[in-house]
Amino acid sequence: MHDHQMPGAAAVGQVRTETSAEIIEAVARSRRRDQTRFRTIFAATWGVLLGAILIGLLAANKIDPVFLGRWQEFILAGIPITILVSASSIAVAIVFAVIGALGRLSDRPVIYALASFYVSLVRGTPLIVQILFIYLALPQIWDGFAGIPTLVLGVFALAFNYGAYMTEVFRAGIQAIPRGQLEAAAALGMTDRMTMRRVILPQAIRIVTPAIGNEFIAMIKDSALVSLLGVQELLWRAQRVGTQNFRALEALLVAALVYWVLTIVFSLLQDRLEKRMAESDRRV
Amino acid sequence: MRQATLGVARFTGLIVIAALIGGVLAACSGDGASDDLLAKVKAANKIVMSTDPEYPPQSALAPDGTYEGFDIDVGTEIAKRLGVDISFETPSWEAITAGSWSGRWDFSVGSMTITTDREKVIAFTEPYYYTPAQMSVEATSDIGSVADLTGQAVCVGAATTYQQWLDGTLDFGTKTPDAAPADITVVSLNTDRNCAEAWQAGRQDFQGWLSSSTTVQGAIDAGLPVKAIGDPVFAEPLAVAFDKSGPDPTSMVTEVNKILDEMRSDGTLGSLSMKWFEEDLTNPAGG
Repeated sequence: MHDHQMPGAAAVGQVRTETSAEIIEAVARSRRRDQTRFRTIFAATWGVLLGAILIGLLAANKIDPVFLGRWQEFILAGIPITILVSASSIAVAIVFAVIGALGRLSDRPVIYALASFYVSLVRGTPLIVQILFIYLALPQIWDGFAGIPTLVLGVFALAFNYGAYMTEVFRAGIQAIPRGQLEAAAALGMTDRMTMRRVILPQAIRIVTPAIGNEFIAMIKDSALVSLLGVQELLWRAQRVGTQNFRALEALLVAALVYWVLTIVFSLLQDRLEKRMAESDRRV
Repeated sequence: MRQATLGVARFTGLIVIAALIGGVLAACSGDGASDDLLAKVKAANKIVMSTDPEYPPQSALAPDGTYEGFDIDVGTEIAKRLGVDISFETPSWEAITAGSWSGRWDFSVGSMTITTDREKVIAFTEPYYYTPAQMSVEATSDIGSVADLTGQAVCVGAATTYQQWLDGTLDFGTKTPDAAPADITVVSLNTDRNCAEAWQAGRQDFQGWLSSSTTVQGAIDAGLPVKAIGDPVFAEPLAVAFDKSGPDPTSMVTEVNKILDEMRSDGTLGSLSMKWFEEDLTNPAGG
């Protein structure tokens, strides 16, 4: 408005810049407003859904607060065991996956066959069958198997299964390393094994890290299957206590909520990890 | 890639060979465990008992994660009189009655009925108590007698004597119980209480539920839609069980029989029964 006082080329240019700055500012403001609006509605919808479920359950008067008060501590004590089982299973699965991936990339037929056999066997049978087989059937072949604590058996079964799926992930990770790096390593006089250990694997592990995060989140849920072996994790506790007191609703509700919260928390952690890795990629 | 894959091959080859050798060694090195169960337990100074903690008042979890109930008390008392510590494992009931425990637990004080079938794989002591088997129906049902269940579906815990009775395969060795009604469809769930839970959830997949009178009464007391019908269908002798495929349980059975006799004559067994069932179920006359 005050621009009208000074006509002239320079002044016109100034008007133009100021106006466009205002426009940019206005657009940014409206975008922010849209974003805030989106977030508010998003949060409100979640709030309404959760509130509706909660109020519905309370209104139906089906939740027994006495049962929850008495047993929640016992059920929640399964959380560390669930996390322990999931984390150790993923750790062992990574070992299986590295070996499996190296086998799948081998050009020796026997080794390639061994790795393919493993992947095919595991991916071709249900996880629950594998778990029961390791628990109930294997001891009938080897007596020594029965001495293994069920926690270890459960971790082994989950790791054996996930290892096969992760084999393909690791194989892709290894194959993503550009061929030029192998030639460069060879030119530097590195042996094959050195190349694998110092050049390929460190980079491949970085590439597959986000995938490992996803597998871990899936593992938190699949770890519930080891309740079949009597491992006293979250689901085992919820089921026993629920049946014992005829309060399956509360017990399974608590278990479901805990699994949900756990996966949300670890998904957030996973997002942050991926963002940080992306940042360090940019710095490089 | 070719050079690299050669490296991969050598690397993997070593690991695979190592894993195979490890596996073979593990298979061969069965520990030279004692051939006698009693000696093994005494040497370990610990006896491991299997229990199904979904079966109150015989076995249930306490909020602090310990176990409680009639069977737990009887097992603990047996361990005490053997002079060893006790710990608990919680396999499924099917895994217990199937034998071949592979040493994961040493004995079951799990209200197991002595049957001819089970005796093929399980070594039993003398019975330590007796429970009647009770038929029940959903609370609103108009079925009034066991015979009325002919042609209907009846729910039982998997691998229980109740399932065997309905299948017509129950045989105590001494006497055979009366035959079950004809044309029954057997619905078997993981453990007895799951049947009552199904009615609680409003499911009507079956009309009857057969379990021990103590379990049926527990469901009624908990306010579930269950009612008992008719007289008990048969009485079961329940005993402590050992695995025949493991270390020889013969001397252990003799020892535990002696302990059970003592517990009976000094009143321990009867008072435990009063404590958990509010009646003395430890005499055969009660069945």
